[in-house]
Parts: sequence; C-alpha cells; structure tokens
Amino acid sequence: MGYRLRARVLLGLVALGALATVALSPTVAGAAGSRAKELVGTFKLAAGSCTGTTPTGTYFRMIFPGGTIAAGKFFDNADSTCTDTSYTLASPGTAGGLINGKYQPDPTPAFSASGGALASSIVKPQNFTAINFGIATNPTDPQTGLAVPAPVIKDKNGKLSGQVEAWSADWNNLHFNQGSPKPDGTTPGLTLPVSGTYNAKTHAFVLTWASAVVGGPFNGFTGYWHLQGTFKPAKS
Amino acid sequence: MRQHLGRSINGPWVSVTGVLGRSTPGSSVDAVAPPSTEPPARTWTLLALAVLGIALIVMPAAFGMFARAPKGAVMLSEFRPFMTTSRLDGFQLDIKQINAGVQQSRHSVASYLGDSSTDSSGGGGSFKAEYPNFASFAGQWGAIDSHMTSLLDSVQDNLGNYQAVAALPSFRLFPWFFVVPGVLVLLLVATLVIRPRRRSTIRWVLVVIGLGLVLAPAVFQMFQRAPKGGQMMSAFKTIETTSNVETIQGYFGEMAVGQGAIRLELVPALERTGLTQSEINARFPAVATLDDRWVHILNDMTPMIGAMSDNVVNYQAIAALPPFPLFPYFFVLPGLLIAGVALAAPGQRRQHQVSSEPTGRVSPDGSQN
Repeated sequence: MGYRLRARVLLGLVALGALATVALSPTVAGAAGSRAKELVGTFKLAAGSCTGTTPTGTYFRMIFPGGTIAAGKFFDNADSTCTDTSYTLASPGTAGGLINGKYQPDPTPAFSASGGALASSIVKPQNFTAINFGIATNPTDPQTGLAVPAPVIKDKNGKLSGQVEAWSADWNNLHFNQGSPKPDGTTPGLTLPVSGTYNAKTHAFVLTWASAVVGGPFNGFTGYWHLQGTFKPAKS
Repeated sequence: MRQHLGRSINGPWVSVTGVLGRSTPGSSVDAVAPPSTEPPARTWTLLALAVLGIALIVMPAAFGMFARAPKGAVMLSEFRPFMTTSRLDGFQLDIKQINAGVQQSRHSVASYLGDSSTDSSGGGGSFKAEYPNFASFAGQWGAIDSHMTSLLDSVQDNLGNYQAVAALPSFRLFPWFFVVPGVLVLLLVATLVIRPRRRSTIRWVLVVIGLGLVLAPAVFQMFQRAPKGGQMMSAFKTIETTSNVETIQGYFGEMAVGQGAIRLELVPALERTGLTQSEINARFPAVATLDDRWVHILNDMTPMIGAMSDNVVNYQAIAALPPFPLFPYFFVLPGLLIAGVALAAPGQRRQHQVSSEPTGRVSPDGSQN
C-alpha cells in the first residue's frame, strides 16, 4: 500500500469518526440529562409567611449550641412577626433572590452607623433583635477571609443540590458565614448540605441547608435556611 | 603525678581538647601530658554548658511554647479593645441600664398597666399572663444580672494584671528568648572545642549570655508582671470556658427577648393607654433609656462575647504552660548556671603563663625548670 493510499485511508477513518460523534451526540446529551445540571438564572424568593400552621416561603432559624435542627433550642427573635418567634421571615431583595453562579456582594459600607446590614440584593434587610440583618455572597468570605466560589445550585431529576459556601449573614457590624459547606470545605456541627426540590414545569423550588456558626459571638449556633420560590431561567 | 601535671599546666579547657584528641598548638608540655590521662572532672564545664544550651533549646518545645505562646499573643491582642477602663465601665453601665429598665418594667410599668399585685419576679399574676415573654425574662434576670456583674467585676479587677502582661514582650517571642541563647551557648561550646585558644574570650561571652538571661526578667519587669499574669489567668479560669461562654450566649438570647418584650409589648401597651412617647419617657425613664440604648448595648456587648468565645482555646493553651510566676526563674536559673560554669572554668592566664614559656621543660615531678 502506497503512502498516499494509507494517508487517504487514515483521513477517511478520521472523517468517519467525526460523523459518528455527531450522529451519536443526542444519545450523549441524553445520558448527561441524568446528571445534575446547573440551573442558569435566579431563584426568585417568595416572602416568608406565618399564616399557615407551618411557616412557608423564605425564612431562617437559629439553633443554640447543643440543640438539634428538628427540636432546637431555637433563638427567639423578638422582631419576628410569627407567633413562634424563632422564625425570622425574609422578603426578596432587589435582585429578587439568589442568582445562581454569581456573587451578590456586600455594598460598601456593609453596615449602617448602628450596625444594621445594608446588603439588600438577595433579601431585604430584616430586623433581628432590633438590628437589621442581611445576606450577601462575596468572592472572599468576610468572616474567614477565605476565597469562596459563587453559589451553584444544580438540579437532577427534580432534586436540588450544590454549594452556597459564600452565603454570609451580616448583622451588628459582624459577618457570619452561613454557607454549606463552610469556606474550608468542611461541614462542622449541624451543618447540612444544600438540598431541595425543583419542579421543571412550574419552576417552583425549595432549598434548605444548615450551617454551623464557627467563631464570634454565636460560635456553636447553627443557622437553618429555608428558601422557597420560583426559579426564573436567565434569558439566553 | 600526671593528673597534677595536667591540671596545673593545661587547665580544664585543654584537658577536654585532649580528651577529644586535639592538642594545644604551641604548648610544649603536650608531649609530656598524655591526653588519655586527663581526669574526667576537667570535662565537666563543657559538658555542663552543652547540657544547659540544649536544655534552653529543648525547653520551649517541651512546654509546647511554639504552639501555645502565639495563642497567648492572639488572646492578649483580641482582648485589647475591651480591656480599658472606659470600655469596662461601659459594659457595667450596659448591665445597670438593662437592670433599671427591667426593674421599672416589672414594678412601675406593671402597676401602671393595671396590675398592682407585683411580685419579685415579673410583675403580678395578670401582668405575667398578659406579657409572658417579659415575665419569663424578668424571672431570669436576677441570675443573669448577678452572673454578668460578677464576671465584669472580675475582669475589671484584673485590668491592671492584663495591662502588666500586655506590657511584656510579645508572647510569640518567648520561645526564642530561650532558643537563641541556647544555640549561642552550644555554638560557643563548639568553638571552644575547635578553637581552644579563644577560650578566654568565649568564657566572657558565656558570662555575658548568662548575665543577659539573669537580667532579662528584671529588664522586662517580669518579676512584677508575671505574677500579675498568673493572677489574671486564675481569675479567667472560670470565665474562659466553653460552658461559661455558652451560658452568656444564652443570657444574650434571654436579654434580646426581654428587651424585645419591653420594646414591642410593654411600650405599645403604655401607648394604648393614651400616653405619648414623651410622656412614657418622662414617666418611665429607665424603660426609655433601655429602649434608646439597646442597639448601642448590642453593638457594645456582642463583640465582647465574640472575643470571649474565640479565645477559649487560646486561654487554655496558655493555661497549659507552666505557671506565669515561674517564668522569670526560667531565665534566671539557666543564666546563673551558664555564668557560674563559665566563671568557674579557669581563665587563660595560667595557660598564658605556660604558653609564654614555650621552651620550658617539665621535670618528672611536674615542676618547671
């Protein structure tokens, strides 16, 4: 077999391989469909509500050291509008909620003169024992000083998972990392991974996680986060 | 006879070099003073110095100072913003204002709201029933007030002790205060072995190092400051514990609920009776002051609780070190020993006397001709 002939055969095989790849691509995509897929867009938050027997929408609870997520003991927020003041309700912020894959950083300054949080993109600043608390996600976690990725939530057949390492609660001139996992990748204490549900048709979602407070005045406490609302896909 | 010869002519430094198989160049007597006959007693100075040098190097590691001392530095640094008279007075004022607001609520406010049967806890029966959050808090306030006031008193009593310890050189440096002299002593001992002719200079350098160690505690006023540090550590023993911090975190939660009940339940109830805000302020000034200063109190106390919590581990690390009052003696004793051993070793004069007579001959009985 001459050199030119061998080269033509080789070229032909490469072309056949390329054709096969293109032809099989829907099958590959189908296989990927069973993998967790990052949702591109914003998790628009529904405001928390205590009108029913159990709170709905977006809310937060804080568990004392030694407690459990299910049974507490819970920290009571006198400013809560719920009968059970351990629920602190939240309302969507200027961005409507959590933008997946992007940071929603603290403004500068992050606090008012009285120590109230000024971050208002994810949720509206909310009174917590007379001082506003807010939520932000920064490239560098302000409490630990560690670099953290932007939150990423993925869907796999209606089950949500992901990471919110950058989730930071601001209150009283202090930052409390409330991410899961924590910025160093650990899940100390009662920290629970991000989990939830997603309805691909209605885009309704529920996201929950728990995060132990490490360091500072609330060291050993755990924050439990319940985000609920409707996912709004980004315009492509 | 030979022992006498060696001792009288070479001295201990030379004898050690002899033991190590090196002769002193230029000494005409080496030929008649076999190294193998040098008495062991002549090696003690170098051995003692080497042991002291090694002990100084090893001691910080043995006590875990490299890990623990920096934690002490962190603790002192993180306590600094709070350990001032004005800040501590401010905390005391915070507690007094909460107490005044609680007392006025449970008595005057309860009475004004139509409950004359006030008791020692949270007002009378109907008041308690109507304002259970406040009543619950008022019932616990006595214990909270007592604990917090006692804690603040204890911290305030130790302000001088803290300042004394904080005035010491940084705790991060402490391990090196032992290691550096230890290394120097070992290097000098090694130099003595290798270059015995420099023994006189080296001996005095060793004396200086020893005296430096002896004087260091005096220069840093460690004899006064270290015992004060010991007192502070004793006083903080019951404060800097996880259990105590969690108790205070619990108090914080209770106070937040209690103040919330005053701010969001009692004051609106007073307003519903027809009182204006200014009338409430005039009639119940302690309640008004607590409401007005609550955010400031939170701003003030929250970071203190954070510092207490963050430094439990640091406190425990320092507490695991030897007691503070002993620290000056960790400098003085090795210093005295180093200087003493160096001074006890014969100087160069006798060697010079011998060396200056390079042609002298030694008779069999050890006398020189």
